[in-house]
Amino acid sequence: MARLKIESLRKSFAATTAVDDFSLDVGDGELVCLLGPSGSGKSTILRMIGGFEQPTSGMIRIDGQDVTRLSPERRPTGMVFQSHALWSHMNVFNNIAFGLKLRSLSRGEIQRKVDQALELVGLAGYGHRQTFQLSGGQQQRVALARSLVLEPKILLLDEPFASLDQHLRERLREEVRDIQQRLGITTLFVTHGQDEALAMADRIVVLRNGQCEQVDAPDVLYRNPQTEFVAGFIGQMNFLSANVEGGRFRHPDFTLDVEVQDGPAVLALRPEALRLEPSDSPDAAGVTRATDFGSHIMVDVELRDGARLKVMTAPDARWQKGQTVRLAASAFALYRQNRLLARGGLPVETVEGRSRHALA
Amino acid sequence: MADTATLSAAGGSEPAIGRGLKGLLLVAIPVFLVGWLIIYPIFAAILSTLFVAGPDGVQFSTASYQFFFSDPYSRANLALTLWTTSICAVLLLLVGLPIALYLRFSTSRFADLVQSLAIFPMFVPSIILSYALIRTIGPNGTVDILLNAVGLPKLPTPYLTPWGPVIGLVWDNLPLTVLMLTAGLAGISSPSIEAARDVGAGPIRVFWYIILPRMGNSILVTISFTVLGIFSSFTLPYVLGPASPEMMGPFMLRTFNDLYDPLNAKTQAVISFVFCLFFGLFYVWSIARNQRSQSR
Repeated sequence: MARLKIESLRKSFAATTAVDDFSLDVGDGELVCLLGPSGSGKSTILRMIGGFEQPTSGMIRIDGQDVTRLSPERRPTGMVFQSHALWSHMNVFNNIAFGLKLRSLSRGEIQRKVDQALELVGLAGYGHRQTFQLSGGQQQRVALARSLVLEPKILLLDEPFASLDQHLRERLREEVRDIQQRLGITTLFVTHGQDEALAMADRIVVLRNGQCEQVDAPDVLYRNPQTEFVAGFIGQMNFLSANVEGGRFRHPDFTLDVEVQDGPAVLALRPEALRLEPSDSPDAAGVTRATDFGSHIMVDVELRDGARLKVMTAPDARWQKGQTVRLAASAFALYRQNRLLARGGLPVETVEGRSRHALA
Repeated sequence: MADTATLSAAGGSEPAIGRGLKGLLLVAIPVFLVGWLIIYPIFAAILSTLFVAGPDGVQFSTASYQFFFSDPYSRANLALTLWTTSICAVLLLLVGLPIALYLRFSTSRFADLVQSLAIFPMFVPSIILSYALIRTIGPNGTVDILLNAVGLPKLPTPYLTPWGPVIGLVWDNLPLTVLMLTAGLAGISSPSIEAARDVGAGPIRVFWYIILPRMGNSILVTISFTVLGIFSSFTLPYVLGPASPEMMGPFMLRTFNDLYDPLNAKTQAVISFVFCLFFGLFYVWSIARNQRSQSR
């Protein structure tokens, strides 16, 4: 159990700033996900915590101890790499035991701890196997066991499931979450998969261009994104751009009364916050595609200005390509210059009687 | 339908045969040249040292080999060649490995300069290098002049001692050694090094437990190559080495040219070849082992 505190961390590579003024507090036993697109600086932050990169400025503390300038081997952290990074000249047992041997533990103690670690990751009895005899998922478990056996204060996971197939990824992330909760180990997890972050994290840090966009619990992040970037990055989101004039957001197909200053704004609508109803009006929006995902149907709708929205409907609903529809929204958020202006659950409805674009 | 199938099968096999013939034709010339210029001379040399013309005609004899291994001077020359080869191989690893490690892991711009300097000897002909070394470490060379300028006594020169060829051969073979070791190090991923550091290994332990075992094959291949080159080297031992004992290259030339003794010169060549063949087989074995481990 440990606390991690990051203060004003900054990392520059020549003229490029990879991480800019990043601060974060991670509590005892908390699992925090660093989420962001490629190049957002999430792996650089993790590598600075692990000691593999030196920050240009800022401070990293673990349980109050400043570790900013410590070499990786002297930090109380354990890292699991995306590529597993197992040592192919050692078998599974020796891969896990290597760190223990460096600490000059007795042979019996090493055997006991390795056996425990293997059991923890569900690989009991695999010690004698060569690493190339294991599947990708098993290799990643060995990498996890190699880190956990040393009982690090902070566990760092750098996209550990990126090289695995979807089914295995889902299974492993549940197992890792379960192990993390059982051990109560403070964990930082880097991913660019939002589903992974939403499924595993206590809190998610959304990063963009080396800066923190928002830090919140997954449900808060999903339901109350504070920036347009977060709104678009977490889950699916429809965006409509228009001007606010006289306290009214004026889009050709959506109008909405909002108490914000006049100016350009972006209306954000979740697919599940939109409702579809068949319409007889020839000027209504039209269905361009309906994809059945089993649990729901995702309907693509084209508005009169050419904008396309995604609408989530019940699995038993049937929508035909070219069908004219009326849209209604149950919740919305309004952004300007990447900042939240307003949000609410007011009904927003399409304006009927407008000409509809020709559908393919 | 059956006709179509037959035609398709015939049409499909004809280009395959054509491709096979073209492939054979492409390799025919190199194979012929290898057979004519390498394989045939080897067997001819071996046979001509074992089947010698005598008063009763051509007869099987190992006399030239018995002479070589009973002659102290010949044995001393072989021993000097093996000593020089071993010392050079060890020195090349000791010098080349740190340079290769630096080039593999350094992110500094200085690494480019080091790489250029390390590869530079590759572009210097051996004869130029030999005379450059004579002018530098030979009697009254640059080193002596510099020592004299600061009032220090002369150092014993390695020129015309066994260390003369060693210095030259190490310098000459350094680029190949560095290139091969760097290529071997490139196969060790950065995350595997970082994982070792993460579990508590310092740089020396990372090198000993992680890097060295995983580049054992590269080291074997490097040693095989350098040993093959050094064992059969001529120019540097001839110009920089001692007159007696001498390395096998100059020894063979002197036996053939000065002593007009082609039988013993060929015997020396066959013995040198057998030693090189051993290292060659060692190299082939290393490559085969590497390919097996990669295919697993």
